[in-house]
Amino acid sequence: MTNQPTESVRHAMPANTERGPEAYAIDGLTPRLAFAPDSRSEAAMLLRAANAAGLVVAPQGGRTATGFGRPLTEYDVALDLRGIHRVVEYVPDDLTVTVEAGITLAEVQRVLGEHGQYLPMDAPPDDHVTIGGLLATAKTGAWRGHLGSPRDHLLGVEVALPSGELARSGGRVVKNVTGYDLHRLHTGALGAFGVIVEAAFKVSPRPAQTMTLAAPAADQHEAMRVARATWDASLATRALTLLGGAAAAHLGLPARPTVIVEFAGQAAAVERSAREFEGLAGRTETPTADLWRKLRATHGDTATTVARLGVPPSLVADVVASAEGAGGRAWGHLAAGAVIVHGDIGVDALRRLRAMAEERQGFLQLEHAPVDLRREFAPAEPGDGDLVRALRDRFDLKRTINRGRWGSGL
Amino acid sequence: MTTTTLQALVSDLRRALGPRHVLDTPEDLIAFEYDATIERALPDVAVFPATTEEVAAAVLLARRYGVPVVPRGSGTGLSGGAVPVNGGVMVVLTRMNRIVEIDTLDRVAVVQPGVINLHLQEALAPHGLTWAPDPSSQRVCTVGGNVANNSGGPHTLAHGSTVNHVLALEVVLPDGRIVNLGSRVPDAPGIDLRGLMVGSEGTLGIVTRATLRLVRASESVRTFLAVFDSVEAASEAVSGVIRRGIIPVAMEMLDQEIIRIVEPRIHAGYPLDAGAVLLIEVEGLAEGVAQDAATVEAACLEAGAREVRSAEAKAERDALWEGRKAAIGAIGAAAPAFYLLDGVVPRTRLPAVMKQVMALTAEYGFRCANVFHAGDGNLHPNIMFDPAEPDAERRVLALGEAIMRVCVDAGGSVTGEHGVGLEKRSYMEWVFRPADLDAMTMARDAFGGAGFFNPCKVLPGGHGCATGHAAELAAVMSDPRVYV
Repeated sequence: MTNQPTESVRHAMPANTERGPEAYAIDGLTPRLAFAPDSRSEAAMLLRAANAAGLVVAPQGGRTATGFGRPLTEYDVALDLRGIHRVVEYVPDDLTVTVEAGITLAEVQRVLGEHGQYLPMDAPPDDHVTIGGLLATAKTGAWRGHLGSPRDHLLGVEVALPSGELARSGGRVVKNVTGYDLHRLHTGALGAFGVIVEAAFKVSPRPAQTMTLAAPAADQHEAMRVARATWDASLATRALTLLGGAAAAHLGLPARPTVIVEFAGQAAAVERSAREFEGLAGRTETPTADLWRKLRATHGDTATTVARLGVPPSLVADVVASAEGAGGRAWGHLAAGAVIVHGDIGVDALRRLRAMAEERQGFLQLEHAPVDLRREFAPAEPGDGDLVRALRDRFDLKRTINRGRWGSGL
Repeated sequence: MTTTTLQALVSDLRRALGPRHVLDTPEDLIAFEYDATIERALPDVAVFPATTEEVAAAVLLARRYGVPVVPRGSGTGLSGGAVPVNGGVMVVLTRMNRIVEIDTLDRVAVVQPGVINLHLQEALAPHGLTWAPDPSSQRVCTVGGNVANNSGGPHTLAHGSTVNHVLALEVVLPDGRIVNLGSRVPDAPGIDLRGLMVGSEGTLGIVTRATLRLVRASESVRTFLAVFDSVEAASEAVSGVIRRGIIPVAMEMLDQEIIRIVEPRIHAGYPLDAGAVLLIEVEGLAEGVAQDAATVEAACLEAGAREVRSAEAKAERDALWEGRKAAIGAIGAAAPAFYLLDGVVPRTRLPAVMKQVMALTAEYGFRCANVFHAGDGNLHPNIMFDPAEPDAERRVLALGEAIMRVCVDAGGSVTGEHGVGLEKRSYMEWVFRPADLDAMTMARDAFGGAGFFNPCKVLPGGHGCATGHAAELAAVMSDPRVYV
């Protein structure tokens, strides 16, 4: 009798899509079933069957961000989307690409790279994140403040709903205001209103040239002065990051507050930007080529606590200093006002940082942390609580997808 | 609504907002029966709130009396979005026109919804900052209207539409609650209700305050006028520029018909014998701009441009842009009436689609002037006609519908920046499947405004809404005479 719900789900799915559940544990819970469907319609079938059977589904891709949101409290079925990974349409001259959600960012970049194009996204920990996971978590990296967030490049999505329907919003054209922009609602929603199975993006030409420079500073104030002046100079900047001393040391640089910057664009613009940066900083170094890769990997580290704070740009240096004072490694992407804190700095320090951010209308989000810590630091309300509940009631009344991720009852 | 009930509603509104800020006579209301499209309908009463609380009070009163609420800014909308088809209370937001804050340090502005787009730009300019959305109506249109329609503009090509530049919104919901969506600091964890609200055309909530993301104005800007013998050649140049790995900030096309209307009136410097001209703008660091400029020029010449003129000085650039921005107004002076369309196609389909548009226009016996955002594949055919001619309106709307069909069949969509509004509701079914529309309906219903907040807009169907395409809709409305 107790096995009846799982049997009904198993019955609804092709046998060759079933996987061993052991590899899909999240938050200490191992699901009863796991499936890796080959198509979007099979993913929708799984949701419908689980919804009918009253089971809870956790969709997942590269499993690099399973620590987002509140810990799962119930978990019956793993939905592995990596089998749904086609490039549906790519028209280089239109600068648009449509892909299925299980494809990795790396694979998309490879395909686009053949035509000198790319998706301007550098989500942590590396390009092995899936497109679906990247959108569901809205993860961003050092480029965010200069090139925009995934929301800004997204043209449309198709989602699988617990009803078993597939629903689209947006389209594949670069400018479109037809209908409600549900794709923006799905971005960062951790599956609350359906599982993203396909996405269309605007793509960008790859810059002709890039250059990374590092400017070690005497202290935090000097580093902030250089970073701020660089931002205000409107150079050909793709990334502008202020590293605390401990973070710099972690990346193999001298253990001092350091500004690292990446310029990208036409060769002449990059060269002039580099000259101006050298003028602003006094002294610069050319760091090893894998600096940004290491920084992304550290941001996406799942071996320790990683927190992301959002603060006004003018507060970035203070938050970085405060986090490092508490024993963490911290860095801030100035233009986006995003500060990343890596390392177990203790609950009191996290509370202090959160208060610092909230005082200026900012926030603290744990991207990876032990379960009890994540309960304490879960966002109080995911937007307006009543509206989110009303939306969730209509899209997923039984809370089949990721039950509890947004709080009890959500 | 009976006269007695209406009188009671009006006096309640007068008590809440002050007697001077409530209009209910037909001669006053007639100014609020239309936007910049064909459809028209009178509201029962128009109110002019000065605060968020007054907006909420008006919403609660309308709710109590069971009449719809339709928000309105300057009324420059191009899809009938502000036409109160079921009457009710029109909430006119033009008194809420204060720039609350400009934070130059963190590059954020907070404004009320009635602030005119250009007034904001003028306030930002001394700080070297700008708010990216620049619709051609920016001298008149409001920021609230830009948010409601997710407006674009010539520079959307590089900077994106309004939604990419809105951080947070204060909104009055259909139940009268005042909520804050989004956050002043970007990327707060949570559900992006801000992103859903932008472009929802007043059907989900009324924006009473907007927190906007500002960007620094570029160090260097260069504008080109490239002259071609045909629209096809100019379209090829658009693809050629993109193929070379450059995304200019704007690539605008004007065809021969519109050049001959604009040039004698505006003197922008467009050659009268050109088949088409492209206005191309690149910006950034001076060094990058110089390099991009050479590439743009080469792409245009390769596509057969007979002349590529470069304007660096501000006065020269302004003259070139003046022709573009004044083009729609100039058509109004050149033809008794015209119907402005908004469709979008993948940019590589532009030459083929433009050919079809011109063939269809000829087939229906009209002239059509084209001025549009070529870089985005965003068409704006302007069908010119004389409403005194028998059956002209019906044929114009039928032609509009046929052109929309061409856009959808080419893999595009029925609106790139003007919104669905009233006009394109029925075309939604061409673009979306029933399950897609069901999901949008679920989202709308979660906000509780169906049939109450701007009814009969965006989604097809709806209780008490006329059905059918624009041509049929116009027939059921009284005396449509305003076209621009």
